[in-house]
Amino acid sequence: MAAGVLLLPLLGALLVLLLRGRGHWLMIGFQAVALLISVYLFSRLWPGNSDAATISPALTHARWNWFTPGAGYPFTLGIWLTIPAALLLVVVNGVALLVQLFSVVYMWKDPGFNRYFSFLGFFVFAMLGIVLADNLFLIFCFWEGVGLASYLLIGFWFNKPQAAAAAKKAFLVNRVGDIGFLIALLIFYAQFRTLDLAALFQLMPASYIQSGDWQAVWSGAAGALPAILLTVAGFGLLMGAIGKSAQFPLQIWLPDAMEGPTPVSALLHAATMVAAGVYLLSRVFPLLTPMVLDITAFIGATTAFMGAFAAFAQHDIKKVLAFSTISQLGYMVMGMGAGAYDAALFHLLTHAFFKAGLFLSAGAVIYALHEAAHRRHTHFDAQDMRNMGGLRRKLPFTFVIYLLCMLALAGLPFLSGFLSKDAILTGTMGWASVARKQWGILAWLVPLAGFTTALLTPIYMGRQLFLVFFGYNRLSDGNEVSYGAIREVPMLMRFPLLVLALLSLGIWFSFDAFDFQGAWPMRLLQLPQVAVPGSLTEYQAANRLFDIREAAFRYHTFTGVVSAILVLMGLLLAYLIYHLFNGRGSFYNNKFVFRSRITRLSYSNWHLDAIYRRTVIAFGLGLMHFANWLDRKVIDRLVDLLGMSGVVFGHVVYWFDRTFIDGAVQVSVWVAGQAGHFSRSMSGRVQQYLLIMLACMMAIILWMFF
Amino acid sequence: MIPLSHYLILATLLFCIGLAVTITRKNAIAVLIGLELMLNAANINLVAFSRYDGVQLQGQMFALFVIVVAAAEAAVALALVVRVYGYYKIADLDKLNRLKG
Repeated sequence: MAAGVLLLPLLGALLVLLLRGRGHWLMIGFQAVALLISVYLFSRLWPGNSDAATISPALTHARWNWFTPGAGYPFTLGIWLTIPAALLLVVVNGVALLVQLFSVVYMWKDPGFNRYFSFLGFFVFAMLGIVLADNLFLIFCFWEGVGLASYLLIGFWFNKPQAAAAAKKAFLVNRVGDIGFLIALLIFYAQFRTLDLAALFQLMPASYIQSGDWQAVWSGAAGALPAILLTVAGFGLLMGAIGKSAQFPLQIWLPDAMEGPTPVSALLHAATMVAAGVYLLSRVFPLLTPMVLDITAFIGATTAFMGAFAAFAQHDIKKVLAFSTISQLGYMVMGMGAGAYDAALFHLLTHAFFKAGLFLSAGAVIYALHEAAHRRHTHFDAQDMRNMGGLRRKLPFTFVIYLLCMLALAGLPFLSGFLSKDAILTGTMGWASVARKQWGILAWLVPLAGFTTALLTPIYMGRQLFLVFFGYNRLSDGNEVSYGAIREVPMLMRFPLLVLALLSLGIWFSFDAFDFQGAWPMRLLQLPQVAVPGSLTEYQAANRLFDIREAAFRYHTFTGVVSAILVLMGLLLAYLIYHLFNGRGSFYNNKFVFRSRITRLSYSNWHLDAIYRRTVIAFGLGLMHFANWLDRKVIDRLVDLLGMSGVVFGHVVYWFDRTFIDGAVQVSVWVAGQAGHFSRSMSGRVQQYLLIMLACMMAIILWMFF
Repeated sequence: MIPLSHYLILATLLFCIGLAVTITRKNAIAVLIGLELMLNAANINLVAFSRYDGVQLQGQMFALFVIVVAAAEAAVALALVVRVYGYYKIADLDKLNRLKG
């Protein structure tokens, strides 16, 4: 049944490609069926709905033999439906369905309409594969599938050079992370001869670490690996997640990915692509050592802060959201690393809804402006916030949706974002109070970054809100006529927006708006049994997690109050800085550029692109030039030399041929000729023969006697 | 008592005469005569040396065998010469050069 959910989008994607007319209804139909099945599966897995005995193993974990390697266990492929997987199934299918509905209007005039829907279907298929696969190798395959789908969709308008470059960048940057993932696969396979997750979860605790060796315990265990490889494997998996979830230092691809169609961004940021990294971390959570988890927390905290900072000075309406996604993913990864497994997945869930809502309302704004420009036969950049302002009067519906989703992202109480963010922050506080034994004062940097980001988020989101929907309309600076032509988006677009905005309310997740622990996702998601063997630190990984969670309880009230204050403060600051003291947005016109050093740092995303250009890319280019030089001067020379020596050798052979071989031939000819002469002396006269015989005899006798 | 050397000289003369006849004469019959001379020169030698073997007289016995074989050989050779002459109408060995080659 779960396999059906997996295959429906793929089937839809393939059929849409074959269709002559518009194929959106087909894709949406398949997607709706997939969503219904997912909801059914999720309800079956809901605790209490069916106790463990009645759930057939075929429903939760189905395996098929793929092949059997020469010596070893059969390689299986399968589907493993756990509770987080079922939850993700609903989220992915749900968001995908809404995005596809939205796309019908958004992409209606695009010549690649069917191709677009087909790609969307494939994207969803690959993501569902990651969610459901029970085998690290299979996950890796779908992982690459997601990479491919994102490449296709980011570069959907491949005629635009920026879009093609962005697609290439996303693909290549993701490859860097995938190398880590691949290394992790190799290590696990070398140690356990299986990549099946359920098997790994049983083999891992059975293995042990003794005097620096990691010894596997199973019937065919080959021997010990160095203990460091256990951590290396964890880092490898983390690297995969860093690439896919756009974490520091690989977050550079995400802002560029905004070149794709806006609904794609919604899907990519909410459900299908960047969520994959966080979901992978949750799927392999039992395999991560405390060391890896700590580094994960630091990376997440760094990313959260860097993303939030970079979101400040962006002109592009979608880039603000892109950086906020990086920042929020940083939160999730930070939560994962801090052992707040359930909180991170909870945030993934809430973020999926409000971020999809934000992207789709940004898409609605872009669509409305684009239509207006089209109607008045003018042209301006419909994504540049310098051309916006005051849109709340023209797009009231979109404004309300955007406001709700934006407040949820900012983490205002009574909205979903507050609950999940609070859960993560509490988790990091607990982690810091335990991890300070290893990291000292550094450990407190993680919750500090979390709280700072919690303050920055409402400021930059408030900035966007005020610049887009409040104040003067700056379009009138040059395009007065277009402002009058702006119309609210069609009903088919409004429906997904409405659903997503409603799902951003906190009430759906917890009746008590201030108690994230009572939220159903937090109760539903149980911390998985930790499978890491041995004591890498002074005590067992599982005990450490337990301590962290114990400690976190103490900070529950503290974080709730602090983050609520920070959000209100942030919104107030945003109002003051970007609205009241900014001439109601009038200075932010289309001649505005960021001048000060700090805003330029934010605008250029910490100059990361430039840094990469000067280091990694410069190194790559240098290597390329060196290789080119080597090729031309050394390799080509060698080849030339080889050719030359061939010619010289040819000459030698020619000479040899003429002198010796031909000579030998001539000698044999001469001998034959002489033999001919000799045979001519055979006259046939018997008496002559006799005479010769006599002469010979006389000669012999003479030789014998003298 | 005639010394052994006389016999040997006689035999040598006879052999040389026979050889000369065999090599120089054109007629095949004459060549056969030369051959017989050479055989008999050998026979004289055998008989002469047989004096030193008074009991068994092996040389004389061997000479007798040689005479018998020579008779047979002469019969075959003459028959051949007659057949060759019948075919080519000549008995000149210089002209019978079909072994040339």
